[in-house]
Amino acid sequence: METSFAITGKGYVLVASDTTAARSIVKMKTDEDKIKVISPHLLMAYSGEPGDTIQFAEYVERNLRLFHIRNNYALRPSAAASWIRRSLAQSLRSRKPYSVNLMLGGFDVTTDTPHLYWVDYLGTMTEVPFGAHGYGAYFGLSLLDRYHNPEATLEEGIETLKRCINEVSKRLVVSPEKYKVKVVDKDGTREIEL
Amino acid sequence: MSIMEYNGGSVVAMVGKDCVAIASDLRLGNQALGISSNFQKIFPVTDRIFLGLPGLATDVTTLRETFRFRVNMYTIKEEREIEPETFAHLVSSTLYEPTGGFRPFIAATDLIGCLNFAKDFVVAGTASTKLYGTAEGLWEPDLDPEQLFETISQTMLNAVDRDAYSGWGVVVHVIEKDKVTTRTLKGRMD
Amino acid sequence: MPDMVALSRQQPQERQFNPYSENGGTILAISGADFSVIAGDTRQSEGYSIQTRYAPKVFRLTDKAVLAVNGFAADGNMFVKQVRQRLEWYRHAHAKDMPLRAIARLIQTMLYARRFFPYYVYNILGGIEDDGSGAVYSFDPVGSYERESCRAAGAAQSLVQPFLDNQIYFKNQVPQPGMTHPKHLPLGTVGDGLEMFVVLAKGSPLYGLENFDGVQEMTSTHEGERIFVVRRNLKRD
Repeated sequence: METSFAITGKGYVLVASDTTAARSIVKMKTDEDKIKVISPHLLMAYSGEPGDTIQFAEYVERNLRLFHIRNNYALRPSAAASWIRRSLAQSLRSRKPYSVNLMLGGFDVTTDTPHLYWVDYLGTMTEVPFGAHGYGAYFGLSLLDRYHNPEATLEEGIETLKRCINEVSKRLVVSPEKYKVKVVDKDGTREIEL
Repeated sequence: MSIMEYNGGSVVAMVGKDCVAIASDLRLGNQALGISSNFQKIFPVTDRIFLGLPGLATDVTTLRETFRFRVNMYTIKEEREIEPETFAHLVSSTLYEPTGGFRPFIAATDLIGCLNFAKDFVVAGTASTKLYGTAEGLWEPDLDPEQLFETISQTMLNAVDRDAYSGWGVVVHVIEKDKVTTRTLKGRMD
Repeated sequence: MPDMVALSRQQPQERQFNPYSENGGTILAISGADFSVIAGDTRQSEGYSIQTRYAPKVFRLTDKAVLAVNGFAADGNMFVKQVRQRLEWYRHAHAKDMPLRAIARLIQTMLYARRFFPYYVYNILGGIEDDGSGAVYSFDPVGSYERESCRAAGAAQSLVQPFLDNQIYFKNQVPQPGMTHPKHLPLGTVGDGLEMFVVLAKGSPLYGLENFDGVQEMTSTHEGERIFVVRRNLKRD
């Protein structure tokens, strides 16, 4: 089953998502990138109804890009998160709502602070020190309650992330085999090999 | 499962002598799974109006944004701050609005900020029955701000400790004529 | 029309008899060092209809045991009747009253005997133990039980229990530096109800109980444990 984790640390946000694309009981693909870089300092991990996910992620990506082009600056993470949340909340009461859950990790260059937002398909949004979606949340959140440290270095953050991923592999019946991990900090976004 | 219980959360407000207090828990959950222990459900509207919105979290956020927008528009048009009574009617009509604003599963607490509205206390949210019991037992008339703070804190803490969907910390605002005191309380995390 | 007849023949119709009802009301018990207070309202209702304003659900079992029964009134009355019968047999066999903790265990076995057609009642047993201490036992409908200091059950349980947590167990309260919370509350601070039984241990003082409004003593001697009953009228709406 689909799982994503994200944790904040000292000056960065780590976002991890599994890479499987499944239909019913069949794995169609095991190298799908489900974390989009939606602006220079903003990452978005998405999961949910196949089709809706990519459609919505690209809609967000293009609108934020349009804003950037028109105004010559990118939205800050909090503003981008609010806009994305509102899009989902409005979609919820439309004829065909998007079924997409998100983790938004960003770095606010104006205040030099990392921010992480947990957003679900209803348009529920909350800023969290760490978060998770999918069945992995039931295993990862308790570990993060114990091991998360907002002052952790990137190396320590990766170690904590690995604990979560390993626990899911060990205990979840339908566990994903591979994860893609990205980080956002003052230098922008980049991918990390675990 | 009712939609009011999907995310959990509770709010209580009380009247004192020349003051009012409003308190909420800080939990945001997905049914039994706790997601956040810092989800605010009380929002300042003006310097002396606070609005508590327990219920489905997506609508809590949307309504808070709607009210902020409408109050800002009112302030610009009228060139004055909105009165508590006027805001109460704004809340009432926004929640009733049939197009776009029709959300049958949203309950706003009674408006607090005006001493005449409720003579004692109002409760809302998943712990509402527990809040009725504790508030009925602890509240008395003419409490001063410090006594009111203690009363509303004990009311909230003991009620949410018996509710699986509320808790994870409490925030209390005590509103006086020209002062607002906000305190965050530690609560049980189980 | 013929179609409709054929259709109704095809559809199986399920009918079921529901042997249970919920008759509302609330019961509550608090114990102190050498006393126990057991209270219950006396209204019996079904839905929005009030069947009677005086149907007690608190029953004196022995000189030092009082049982409160809430839920389905018919089951409750029958259950109390059977418990009393068992207590009488015990008295004939052993020439003494059954101790409180033994009554609690008896209630468990009697409730569990009906595990698959339970008495639809929540029981709270209050009284004095053999060592003279006040005690409250609370039960679920199939006999799980526990000795506690206080318990509420019934329609207003969710209103009363968190208040009791705060006022009896001092939950979320911190004592003054160098002080501790009292281990047992004095009788005077334990409030009033519609029909309230107070069981005092042998030789215990009256704690000003004799001056209570509408108090009536149920025991004829002052030698052993003494039971008082207080009846109050609450709002009649």
